[in-house]
Amino acid sequence: MKHFMIKQFNGLDYATTQRLHSLGLQVGSEILAVRFYPFHGPVIIQADHQRIGIRYQVFQQLTGGDAS
Amino acid sequence: MTTVALLGNPNTGKTTLFNELTDKYAYVGNWTGVTVEKKVGQIRHSHTQVIDLPGVYSLNPITKDESVVTNYLLQNSPDLILNVTNASQLKRNLLLSVEVLELGVPVIITLNMIDDLKRSGHFYDLKTLSDKLGCPVRTSNARNKEGLTQLKADLVCDQSEIQPDSPLKLAYPMMVKQAIRQAAESLTNDYKIDNKFAHWLAIQYINNNKVVRKYALKHQLKPLLSQKAYYDAQKFADQIFETRLSFIEATLSAATEQLQSTKHVALTSKIDKVVTHPIFGLPIFVGIFYLMFKLSFDWVGTPISTQLDKLLSGPISHWANQFLTQVGALPMLRSLIVNGLIAGVGGVLVFIPQIFVLFACISILEDSGYMARAALVTDRIMEMIGLNGKAFIPLIIGFGCNVTGIMAARTIEQPKERLITTLISPFMSCSARLPIYSLFVAALFPRHQALIVLSLYFLGIVVALLMAKFYHVMFKAKEHSVFIVELPQYHIPRLDIVWHGTWDKGKGFIKKAGTIIFAGTVLIWLLSNFGTRGYVTQIDQSFAANLGKVLLPVFKPIGISTWQPISALLTGVLAKEVISSSMMVLFHTSNQGALIAMIGGSFTALSAYALLVFILLYIPCFATIGTIKSETGSAKWAAYSVVSSLFISYSLAFLIFQIGSLLT
Amino acid sequence: MGLLVNIIIFAAIFGFAGYQIFRAVKRSKQGKCAACDYDCEAKKLLNQSKKRSL
Repeated sequence: MKHFMIKQFNGLDYATTQRLHSLGLQVGSEILAVRFYPFHGPVIIQADHQRIGIRYQVFQQLTGGDAS
Repeated sequence: MTTVALLGNPNTGKTTLFNELTDKYAYVGNWTGVTVEKKVGQIRHSHTQVIDLPGVYSLNPITKDESVVTNYLLQNSPDLILNVTNASQLKRNLLLSVEVLELGVPVIITLNMIDDLKRSGHFYDLKTLSDKLGCPVRTSNARNKEGLTQLKADLVCDQSEIQPDSPLKLAYPMMVKQAIRQAAESLTNDYKIDNKFAHWLAIQYINNNKVVRKYALKHQLKPLLSQKAYYDAQKFADQIFETRLSFIEATLSAATEQLQSTKHVALTSKIDKVVTHPIFGLPIFVGIFYLMFKLSFDWVGTPISTQLDKLLSGPISHWANQFLTQVGALPMLRSLIVNGLIAGVGGVLVFIPQIFVLFACISILEDSGYMARAALVTDRIMEMIGLNGKAFIPLIIGFGCNVTGIMAARTIEQPKERLITTLISPFMSCSARLPIYSLFVAALFPRHQALIVLSLYFLGIVVALLMAKFYHVMFKAKEHSVFIVELPQYHIPRLDIVWHGTWDKGKGFIKKAGTIIFAGTVLIWLLSNFGTRGYVTQIDQSFAANLGKVLLPVFKPIGISTWQPISALLTGVLAKEVISSSMMVLFHTSNQGALIAMIGGSFTALSAYALLVFILLYIPCFATIGTIKSETGSAKWAAYSVVSSLFISYSLAFLIFQIGSLLT
Repeated sequence: MGLLVNIIIFAAIFGFAGYQIFRAVKRSKQGKCAACDYDCEAKKLLNQSKKRSL
């Protein structure tokens, strides 16, 4: 498991941004990448004791492209 | 009459709470979006009415079911709002609470699932929370009925006793505050809108709430409309979000108390390590479904069903026949009741065990929280066809009934994806098709019953997915798919909730037996006992036979060589269960065993499989057609669904039978 | 007498069956809520308000 920080919401569509905001995520939020699925499948992240599945591209955008 | 609205994030236990508080129970599941329309119930021995609204993350809706809540608040004013929150995820739950508190309607917040919070080792000081938020704060755990007495006492009070709350006022940045004040003032002065409501409208409008913006446009609220460009250019929405979040963070950090570190039960993580495994996740998903079908067909469902059938075709038919002869019923009436109704309707009712076992399994999956994981492990596959994992949930619900499956598609964010999911839903093998599968597999595949049925279910899924890909290309859907799925804590399924879920899904089946299946059986009895020359004793001369024989050449290429199944297929449009009862009447058999023998005689394994594929995919039932029409808002889509499914089912059955014939 | 009872039972069965088919066709035209077998509270309220408005 690896820690990341949300760097930006740029490049995400409105609905995704809004939903992530509603889940309490904002620039500067600490997230923990719990699991990556093969073939760039979804990523399980954890923030504030809740686990959320998001798409790999979204994860990359959020963390500024430094996803492994 | 006092009206209380239940409002909260998805998956906070609203519906469980609703069921515990009221006499009526609604449908509960441990995943997002179980409540897609509002439900109303009444608290026992009181005049308090409770309305269960779909779970929302914010009042600014993204999906169709979420807009139900905003529209409700715009058009109704409840006397009290009970804001149900998930105690262990208070931060984001309060984002919604803030929006609700700004409305100025009296609010009670309950920290639900409080046991999960305690287990994580901290707690909140309720008094601090209550002071900061300006409303009463309670704790509860609906699953274990904790804190419900207190809540009930709070809700069951006279309208006059409820104290009017003043709306929560956050310290928004100067510019935003000024904009809100100006807009609210002119709304109050020029449009005679209540000041509190005007204030809330202004905030929501500035915050880019789509439903409120539509509302403003409809009512021509000039003070808001004229400033739209200014609000958006200044990015007021972002500022509002930031203000709210920092308010919540401040509130929570003031209220947090560390408990003595309790033993941290990491049940959820442990299970998740296995079921959401990157590689084994999918095989486990398939395995769980295989187990479900094994239970329904081999281990539990079928044995009970066989016993029921013995009872029905033996003593009950015999007794009814004797009784009718004694009271002097005409032979024709006797034939209608014994060979028609008892054999036909009864023949469908004996499948209750299989269907209920299957529903119980789906309910357990829903209540435990596995569904969200299913969405996750299937997302990569769904992404390939342009949908997302969440579309999988409506499809699985479609296994129960396609109508509810289509309704559940409302939780999908993108309109085009929703349309695609609606169109492919009828390919999911609903429970009504089970009786006919059971008959055929018992006749021709006695040793691989569960496997054959499972293969049909998967074929349904595969066809649905291929069609989805096709539509995706056709519609040129370029919108990005929104895939954000919450993984809730696992719960040990509670027996009564599983039973309620099972009963809720299954009772429609029993009800249909008394209505539409009954009617279909009478219809097919009529057609099979009357011909051009009136009442006929030879079924070969009946209308049903004539009709079936006319269509026989059309069905020959897919392996059907007798007219009976064809007539049965026609009545199946009323409801798919009617196919089995029609077969029973048309083959003139009074029990399952005899019918199975008849089917075994007139079909080969190959032609039976081709027919089952045809039944799986052909025209959806009336109720489904109607739902497609209302959910897509056009009769064209409904008609399209009828034509396309007929085409697909025929071509596929044709291919299977012809290629199969070449190989054997 | 026996014949009359027979006819009445026939009529009842066919009448009920015909009515159910008629209803199924009609309901499928209305769609959504009406097509659902569950008579939930929201639906009752909806029907009430429809009656009131008439």
